Amino acid sequence: MSRTLEDILFGAPRPRAIAITRVMSVVAAGVLLLMAAGIVARFRSAGQLDGRLWEFFGWQTTWAFLAKGLLGTLASAAMAGVIALTLGLLLLLGRLAPSRLLRWPSIAVIEFLRGTPTLLLIYVCFLVLPSVGIKISTYWMLTLPIGLSTAAVVAEVYRAGVLAVPRGQTDAALSLGMTPIQGFFLIVFPQAVRYIVPALVAQLVIVVKDTTFGYVVTYGELMQNAKVLIANYHSLVPVYLVVAALYCLVNYATSWASRRLGRPVH
Amino acid sequence: MGDASRLLADYGPAFGQALFLTWKLTLASFVPGFLLGVVVAVLRLLPLPPLRFALTVYVEIFRNIPSVALLIFIVFALPDLNVVIDYEPSVVLTLVLVCSAFTADYVRTGINTVDGGQIEAALSLGMRPITVITSVVLPQALRAVVQPMTSLLIALMLSTSLASQVPFPGRELTALVAKIANDSAAGMAAFALAAALYVASGLLIAWAGATLEKKVRILR
Amino acid sequence: MSIPSVLKSAVAALALVASGSLFAQGTPINAAAFDALVAQGPVADAATIAASPWASKIKQAGTLRLGGTQTSNLFSLLNEKDGKARGFDAGLAQLITRYILGDASKVQFTQVTSSTREQVLINNQVDMVLATYSITPARAEKISFAGPYYTSQAGVLVKASNTAIKSYTDLADKKVATQAGSTGPAILAQYAPKAVVQEFQTHQEALDALRQGRVDAYVTDYTLLLNVLSLGTGDAKLAGAPFGAQDPYGIGLPKGSDGVAFVNAFLKKVEADGTWAKLWTISIGQRTGSTAVPTPPAIP
Repeated sequence: MSRTLEDILFGAPRPRAIAITRVMSVVAAGVLLLMAAGIVARFRSAGQLDGRLWEFFGWQTTWAFLAKGLLGTLASAAMAGVIALTLGLLLLLGRLAPSRLLRWPSIAVIEFLRGTPTLLLIYVCFLVLPSVGIKISTYWMLTLPIGLSTAAVVAEVYRAGVLAVPRGQTDAALSLGMTPIQGFFLIVFPQAVRYIVPALVAQLVIVVKDTTFGYVVTYGELMQNAKVLIANYHSLVPVYLVVAALYCLVNYATSWASRRLGRPVH
Repeated sequence: MGDASRLLADYGPAFGQALFLTWKLTLASFVPGFLLGVVVAVLRLLPLPPLRFALTVYVEIFRNIPSVALLIFIVFALPDLNVVIDYEPSVVLTLVLVCSAFTADYVRTGINTVDGGQIEAALSLGMRPITVITSVVLPQALRAVVQPMTSLLIALMLSTSLASQVPFPGRELTALVAKIANDSAAGMAAFALAAALYVASGLLIAWAGATLEKKVRILR
Repeated sequence: MSIPSVLKSAVAALALVASGSLFAQGTPINAAAFDALVAQGPVADAATIAASPWASKIKQAGTLRLGGTQTSNLFSLLNEKDGKARGFDAGLAQLITRYILGDASKVQFTQVTSSTREQVLINNQVDMVLATYSITPARAEKISFAGPYYTSQAGVLVKASNTAIKSYTDLADKKVATQAGSTGPAILAQYAPKAVVQEFQTHQEALDALRQGRVDAYVTDYTLLLNVLSLGTGDAKLAGAPFGAQDPYGIGLPKGSDGVAFVNAFLKKVEADGTWAKLWTISIGQRTGSTAVPTPPAIP
């Protein structure tokens, strides 16, 4: 079945159908262009196309400033990603352990971290932990909750991958004389990871999105620098548009990279 | 445990209202978001390249944009374009848009599970493509994606914590915990209670989803 | 064509005549005068610093961790081109930094909002908070204040076209913006209890809410409102005279810190030698069209 679904549904149309499709395409394009024009007109009538609101984007200092903010975002996201991937692996091992003593706490931790909003965990690090004497730096107040929250999801993603590896692989490894641990890390886990790379990368995208909560703990990242630009130039819509576009680009690039990585290598 | 009982005495009703608000926001965003996502997924099947392109851009934007950034844009920037939306509808709108983008993707994977042969058979019976989509493809696609949609619903419920970031009328669970932590020393107890409520709600949804999935899944 | 020039021409191509009014910028601060004033500020001698554990710790660390704002036009606005914040609060912060460390630029800055100001001190994320921080008994339970270094009453800001609201007495059932965690909510509870209050995290957001019509009025410190008016575009006006008690601004320090005595001594010094008055003129007076320099409030 090399034909896509759309191909089967709409492929090989009669000449009249081809003509109708062409007309509808033109109509659709026309409607979309009208909508775009409408949006531009709205921008114009609201005065948002005024040069004063956009001219600072032509200055290098503006982009350098935004880049600094983006660096803050990525610094937190990268560490949170590392925490998520390693802690997720630990939780997975606990989850799969034969002993109940390891399994039940792991399940409890996973369900707890998966079931609470990341924002709530961030508030806890900022407001609640200090009141019981635990004081951590601003960077960790943002990175730790995001890492923990994502670790639980990553653990479940790992587990889905491990369950997808045929049981025969484990049996074969054991019959070759490997210990269960060797069998897991040398045979099962590498194969599991290959199945789940896209899902893991999707989690990394979520991590980047979660860093926008940095202002809650006063961590300086991209949104913060956006507010400074807004205060300086009173340019709300353009700055937010550009910042939103930057986030979309970073996340889209990450997902795209994962799709490239996910191409089979046989 | 005196902390906890004092907390319940002072804030018990507030927690009840907050939980109700959380659920209300979840459902108010999931239903339109789900429907919109299905519509987008179906429209993407049509052989109209401009439409497919526009919808792909739509899905990519709302899958990749941070929800907080989107909410702030709707609440603080849109009014400069003369579109003023009140706070509660703004939160719902943000969640609807994000939910629809993810739904469109999941429904698409569900559509992919439908065997091409079924479509060819339906077409050869004289069905029009649109009927094929609505009667043959979509029912099976939806039945195949109950599990990811359940996860999406849980994620959506957790995302209602966004409402704490704008001057929202009323407090949902996260905003309530933040307020209690700011005003008193019962922050830890409040967090424990809110976390318990979130986890319980999530497990409830997961259980309902698993039951539904067992009933409607298609064994091939 | 290089990328900057492409950007510039694209931006120029987008420039069209603006229509609506936008509560625009206004007299920018005299950066040269500001920097010169900070550069000639006093520097403490070793004995004064050694006498204060709070100051000694900062001197040892080599930087002063400051909690402030970067988005307040009059009090502290960050110029992203040269990375320097300027304004009344920013000036005081830089003068204190110079006083302890000899160099006004050795600051590690954290952006705080009205809801994070106390917590960052409790969490030891910053050494002090200078951010139009009103001294209230409730806050004094969690942290300590040095100063006051400034006072201001509250004022009501409305759009120029609004004739319904003439003073704070007309705010019943109207939507009123105020800053979360500021004295605004308490003032409104006392003077306009029937107003529908919406709390915002920053001055800029509340101002935007007024401009965008989400609220009918904005109640906050009178000085902040004067700044909006000095922009002279006629978009907003004050409704009635300043009202309420004199709101004292203080410098936030960790609870029970000896830094309070240290900073108070510093404040008395700069008030006596005229630096305070010069700072006020450069950051507030010249930009709101006020010429009468107020007397600094008495420090207990």
